[in-house]
Amino acid sequence: MTEFLENAPIALLAWFLGILGSFGVPGWMLEIISALIVIGTVIGIFLGLFALASVMERKILARVQNRFGPNRVGPFGLFQPVADGIKMITKEDLVPRGADRIVHFLAPVVMMVPALLVLAILPYGRGMVPAELDAGILYFFAVGAGTEVAVFMAGWGSNNKYSMLGAMRAIAQLISYEIPLVMSGITAAMIAGSLMPSAIVAAQGGFIFGFIPQWFVLTPWGFTAGLIFYIGALAESNRSPFDLPEGESELVAGHLTEYSGFKYATFFMAEYVGMFAICGMLVTLFLGGWQAPLPFLTIIPSWAWFLGKVCFVAFTMIWVRATLPRLRIDHLLAFAWKFLLPMSFAAFFSAACWHFAGRGLVAWLLSLAIVAIPYLAFGIHFSSRFAISRRTYRFSE
Amino acid sequence: MMHAALESFCADPVKFLAPWFVLLPAFVLLLSAAAAVVMRNLIHAALCLTLSFIALGVVFIALGAEFVGLVQLLVYVGAVAMVIVFAILLTRPEQLEKSRSVFSGIGPAGGAAIAFGLLATLLGFIFASPLAKKPLPAPAVAPVANIGEALMGNHVVALIVIGVLLTAALVGAAVIAMEDQP
Repeated sequence: MTEFLENAPIALLAWFLGILGSFGVPGWMLEIISALIVIGTVIGIFLGLFALASVMERKILARVQNRFGPNRVGPFGLFQPVADGIKMITKEDLVPRGADRIVHFLAPVVMMVPALLVLAILPYGRGMVPAELDAGILYFFAVGAGTEVAVFMAGWGSNNKYSMLGAMRAIAQLISYEIPLVMSGITAAMIAGSLMPSAIVAAQGGFIFGFIPQWFVLTPWGFTAGLIFYIGALAESNRSPFDLPEGESELVAGHLTEYSGFKYATFFMAEYVGMFAICGMLVTLFLGGWQAPLPFLTIIPSWAWFLGKVCFVAFTMIWVRATLPRLRIDHLLAFAWKFLLPMSFAAFFSAACWHFAGRGLVAWLLSLAIVAIPYLAFGIHFSSRFAISRRTYRFSE
Repeated sequence: MMHAALESFCADPVKFLAPWFVLLPAFVLLLSAAAAVVMRNLIHAALCLTLSFIALGVVFIALGAEFVGLVQLLVYVGAVAMVIVFAILLTRPEQLEKSRSVFSGIGPAGGAAIAFGLLATLLGFIFASPLAKKPLPAPAVAPVANIGEALMGNHVVALIVIGVLLTAALVGAAVIAMEDQP
């Protein structure tokens, strides 16, 4: 049963292609069809997750804030995404008169492309990688860089000051947080000795004493780097508390101000798919990818573990959104450059020491010291500089 | 001729079309680079330049230089394009009018002449160099791992020197940006 479920997606594809092959479909066409099926399945699953997340996010936020949330459409409001979709499609598509029509039109498209492209390299299960790239991690970050161009196009093409301000903030944030994100992600690649996502997942397989999983997040450097990656992921996907580029109260939604109807929906969709993609990357790098947390739990197929972990990380992101207030732009950038970046260097160094000290108990303690000492030093330093006191206002009485 | 081409297309279209995976992005690269030069609107020019960066990365990947192509995308699309855009947005138009270089008086024809002269010189030296006469080495098996080993092995000194240079640049940028304290 386990074996069957584990291999079910691959077996299903092989069976379907076998039937096509028996009808005399040539080999090259089978290759193309197989690729299209894989692409369609991955995009379909992530768009399904997007639909689910758009309603679950509102449900969870409502639960945290002691309300009901959407509960009118379908059972428990589960058909809300359908209603939202119909509304978005039938809405009028407004383009400002002074807008640069081509750039304004292309921005949502350019936003969507990297969000879908990065899905290609995630290992969804044992032997289930749509595109097995030698430099998969690099591909993820390289393609993800296209988002910045899209945000700029949206901000500039709208010919609106709020849009431009929001886009500038968003780009500053994306570039600043990309450095700690990549630096912390690199530690996992360094310890696994490969930039290939499936190799990194394989390096986290097996159990110590038969029950402790060898996930990177359970080592001191991995915990630090994983946490930095998580914070960076929140910022890269414009999630609260880093959602100030589109802060409704200050910037009337930033670069999204002049978008309506389906173009807005496309941005929304790209943001959610990007969020799930970066959650998938976090799971791959630090949370053991598709590996089960305990030996007897391997009866659950690997792809179910991957999906479950991604959904759990996405859930914590929604939880964080319900809990934390929005940061100010200078605090946001200072946090990235003055705290996250040095801490990601510490995690990097700690990972190297862990590797060269033999990956045993001594290595564990050494790498713990290397990340704990800078953390405490930063804490003491910052808390001494910014003593908690009565708030003073510079520009208003 | 036409018939033979059609036959080989029908036999294995993927193989038949393989050169176009390189040529198509190369055309996009040339067109967008030309557009970046010709466009009057500076932001449009910058976006065309970004497109040419992307196309160059795709050409690299299509030619099998996966690592170089991805780094091209990461560095040029993610960082350099944004720096260019920021530089355009932060300079005022009147400053652009005033800035005059020594080549301002020669006009477009003179500029084109200089550009082609430079290209011809470069091509001449490239084809005259002993590297061009050597046969092409066989493609590497695991390019990314090989690049990593080469960087950490034979070229480790160069890597460290570049690291020091970038650190110095970063410190310099921080010092320039720091207004509050001297």
